[in-house]
Amino acid sequence: MNRFRPDFSDDPAVELNGVSLRYDTADDVLSDINIRLKPGSFTFLTGASGAGKSSLLKLLYLALAPTAGDIRLFGQRTGMLKRKQLSAIRRRIGVVFQDFRLLEHLTAFENVALPLRVAGQKEAAYRTEVVDLLRWVGLGERLNARPPQLSGGEQQRVAIARALINKPDLLIADEPTGNVDPDMARRIFRLFQELNRRLDTTIIIATHDMHIIREFESPVLRLQHGILVEDVEFQGA
Amino acid sequence: MSKPTPLLPESDAREAALFFVVAALCFLAVLAALTARGTYTAAKAWSAQVEGQMTVRLMDTDRRGADEAAAIVRGLYGVESASVLSQAEMEALLAPSFGPGGIPEGVPLPLLIAVETMASAPADAETVSSALKAAGFNAVTEAHATYAAEARRALGTLRVAAIGVVVLLTATAIAVIAFATHAALLARKDIVDVLHLAGAEDSFIAHLFERRFWILGLKAGAAGSVSALAVTAMIVFSARSAGSQSQLLPQLSLDFWDLLILAITPVAAGLAARWAARGTVTHSLRATL
Repeated sequence: MNRFRPDFSDDPAVELNGVSLRYDTADDVLSDINIRLKPGSFTFLTGASGAGKSSLLKLLYLALAPTAGDIRLFGQRTGMLKRKQLSAIRRRIGVVFQDFRLLEHLTAFENVALPLRVAGQKEAAYRTEVVDLLRWVGLGERLNARPPQLSGGEQQRVAIARALINKPDLLIADEPTGNVDPDMARRIFRLFQELNRRLDTTIIIATHDMHIIREFESPVLRLQHGILVEDVEFQGA
Repeated sequence: MSKPTPLLPESDAREAALFFVVAALCFLAVLAALTARGTYTAAKAWSAQVEGQMTVRLMDTDRRGADEAAAIVRGLYGVESASVLSQAEMEALLAPSFGPGGIPEGVPLPLLIAVETMASAPADAETVSSALKAAGFNAVTEAHATYAAEARRALGTLRVAAIGVVVLLTATAIAVIAFATHAALLARKDIVDVLHLAGAEDSFIAHLFERRFWILGLKAGAAGSVSALAVTAMIVFSARSAGSQSQLLPQLSLDFWDLLILAITPVAAGLAARWAARGTVTHSLRATL
């Protein structure tokens, strides 16, 4: 097993240096993780169940703080930032959760508009944008449907639209196709790829779907028992 | 363009229960405050009245001698009036002991002079006793102010107790609201997490809860306040209708201060709820990254 050696060539969008994570008194869930992702890169994160993929993503979308090491996002060391600055960083990150995390009392339109509402924008300013994005993900006719009225695939697309609405600099997706059929999974990944090409968004996707990883030739980070290892087989573009 | 759905879902059964608890606490707090104030006002008026009164008990003299003694007292500086109590007045005074049938014949009654002193420069018991003794009367003078001082002490205790009850109820309301906010926060942790990860600042999330609990506190406070007013008015009305003569009966006059208590309670409940909600939410959020 070879430890992953990061590429130190350009200013990274995401940089983890010697990051470890431990929950309470248990053993390290992540150990000495070093990652550098260039702006506009498209990276898969893979590994067996319990390898630490979700924990690593939680560190990246600032839901957790590392127990050791430091994380830099967009050149800023997150451990040194004040709460308001962390909120500002979070607004530059879009997250697609495996379990969607849609607010059930809000419509599809309102769920997608949530990050803009949080940023203080008025509906008049974002209405067209939200409607266009929902049309782009194929939900133009479901604007006023609430999550319980939507299928799993539709909910997933609403969650993706919510993550994309404020044109994030970094998009993080945790098993984004875990609840959809293979065709829908492929469509969703193409959507991410299009976003990456169009807006130069840095994308990191955790998945254990090896078919998808083989199909989309992108660099792969592989976690094994909390340690990041190089996976030569899928090192692509 | 329709009004956007609130980010926090509409109130649920937990908030209905909290509304009831806060309304009940406000009801008890207002009741305590109004009752204490009414009692204090009535007792203050009573003590002001008795403080200007004295009773002179004459011994070894007859009615004519009593009239002479009353005239001497009336002539003293600081005395407003002095008159010998008539048979009818004595019977009224002793009615609580002898009943409506009057005083039985043969019961020896003392001769009493009721003295009212001037409010500005009241004569004291010593002056009255000395003047009567100098004129050859065997008399004992009792200033009612002695009893009023005891009543004043009791009123002071009552006031402190009432303030204590109001403070305790307010603190309880705040603690209950803080507890309920914490429960609401836990129940809506999914929403808070999503907002937090979408980049909402602590103040944005806290504001959602603050607004919700401010309105709840305001409404619950108003309900408690109005209920307390109704109950107090009913108690006083029924006591007065039953012909109670007690001057210590709370006086619900609905003056400026009573109205202030009624008006302030909902606002205070709303502010307390808002403050408790803000503190709880901010504290909980600070436990996260």
